[in-house]
Amino acid sequence: MHIPDGIIPVSVALGGYAAAGGMTWLSLATIKKKFKNPREIIPRASLLTAVFFIAALIHIPVPPTSVHLILSGLVGVILGWFAFPAILVGLFFQAVMFQHGGLTTLGVNACLMGIPALLAGALFRLRALSGAKSRVFDAVLAFTGSFLAIAAGAFIAAMLLTYTVPAPLGAAAERTAIISLGVAHLPVALLEGVFTVLLVLFLWRVKPELLEMEEK
Amino acid sequence: MIAPVMKMTKSANPLYRWETRHKLIGLLAIVFSFAFIRDPLLLPPMLAVALAVYLYSRLPLTYYWSRVRLPGIFLLVLALILPFGAGSTILARLGPLEMKLEGLQAVLLISVKFLSIYALMLVLFAGTPPYKLAGSLRKMGLPALLTEMIVFTDRYIYQLAGDLRRTQVAAGLRGFSGRSLTALKTLAYIVGTLLVRSHDQSERVFQAMTLRGYGREQAVFNVDQPVFGDRLALAFALLVALTFILLQHIFF
Repeated sequence: MHIPDGIIPVSVALGGYAAAGGMTWLSLATIKKKFKNPREIIPRASLLTAVFFIAALIHIPVPPTSVHLILSGLVGVILGWFAFPAILVGLFFQAVMFQHGGLTTLGVNACLMGIPALLAGALFRLRALSGAKSRVFDAVLAFTGSFLAIAAGAFIAAMLLTYTVPAPLGAAAERTAIISLGVAHLPVALLEGVFTVLLVLFLWRVKPELLEMEEK
Repeated sequence: MIAPVMKMTKSANPLYRWETRHKLIGLLAIVFSFAFIRDPLLLPPMLAVALAVYLYSRLPLTYYWSRVRLPGIFLLVLALILPFGAGSTILARLGPLEMKLEGLQAVLLISVKFLSIYALMLVLFAGTPPYKLAGSLRKMGLPALLTEMIVFTDRYIYQLAGDLRRTQVAAGLRGFSGRSLTALKTLAYIVGTLLVRSHDQSERVFQAMTLRGYGREQAVFNVDQPVFGDRLALAFALLVALTFILLQHIFF
């Protein structure tokens, strides 16, 4: 779901940086309000960021091939407002270590993964409605958030790629391109949804406080 | 992951001695000027500049090839779709498919821009460790929280990669092949275990760091002081970037 360099026009790339800057500012401002000493939470947030970075390297078999997970929904579920900075940092490391994702498109990529992650996190916080005591409700929220995070990211990426490609595609081709990209990401979105549910249920049993990081 | 390249580039090459902030600004300016280009006539000079910088960096061409292969797949997909899906000027007919001029031009533009920017990205990151980049970005105004997250994440990634490898080996010894969809549950538990272990560790790390004074003072990031040569190189890089932008806007 990364948009590489060279495809989108520079105005969109710069717009992506501006939007990512705004979202980072909003996230950090909210974190500072929520936590008495935000630096207390940095080692934990960083360690979890590193876990997500590493976990995204795991290949999940989807016969006859395999896919790697994006985990933006899961990042939102576990990290809450830290999700956007975590994804930004993760993308920075992907660019530094593997040269994946692009330099000019770092802002755009951060937005198309980070904003849906924040929404997935916000959706998961609705678990408070059940007093955070229903495993089924948590599982439904985790699946929905994670599925929508990937679907929304893929949809934004498809729109950006289709409408900014440096040659007119034509209405029918644009529609086909968007639908094809959406359909191609559907199995990944489903897998991510199921993966997030399995992980949330695991944490429910083993370490429930990890699901309440923001409420601390 | 990055260590072999760091060793490879430990040389007297000025590109690796270029002060990080100046190098970041200089190379990013060129990268963004490449992103500005829309005219095919500017593609050869762009490719020439990228190639010159890459060759000057003394990074092996095999390194470029090994890195570009995976993201190159995306490019390949575009190269297969765009010539037949975009544009209106028909160049050739291949059965029911029509190859169009505008689509071909778009593929050429995207490919050369991608390959050129990729070369500069390799040069920028191959010789600069993440903690140095983070320190330089902090000096350039990146929020302290974000900078500290970068430094901590850099510290943990290698350790966790080792943990994951050990866990996967242990799972393999117990007969886990991970070759079917049913492996999803096991993989979720592996990541869950990694999360729980990391969380517990982060508590201990935080307590140990607090005892040593973390949180009382702002973190300090040491960066190299620029010399005249760094500024001169930056001025040259900015001139190159400006030339591309002006050529695109004025002449094309």
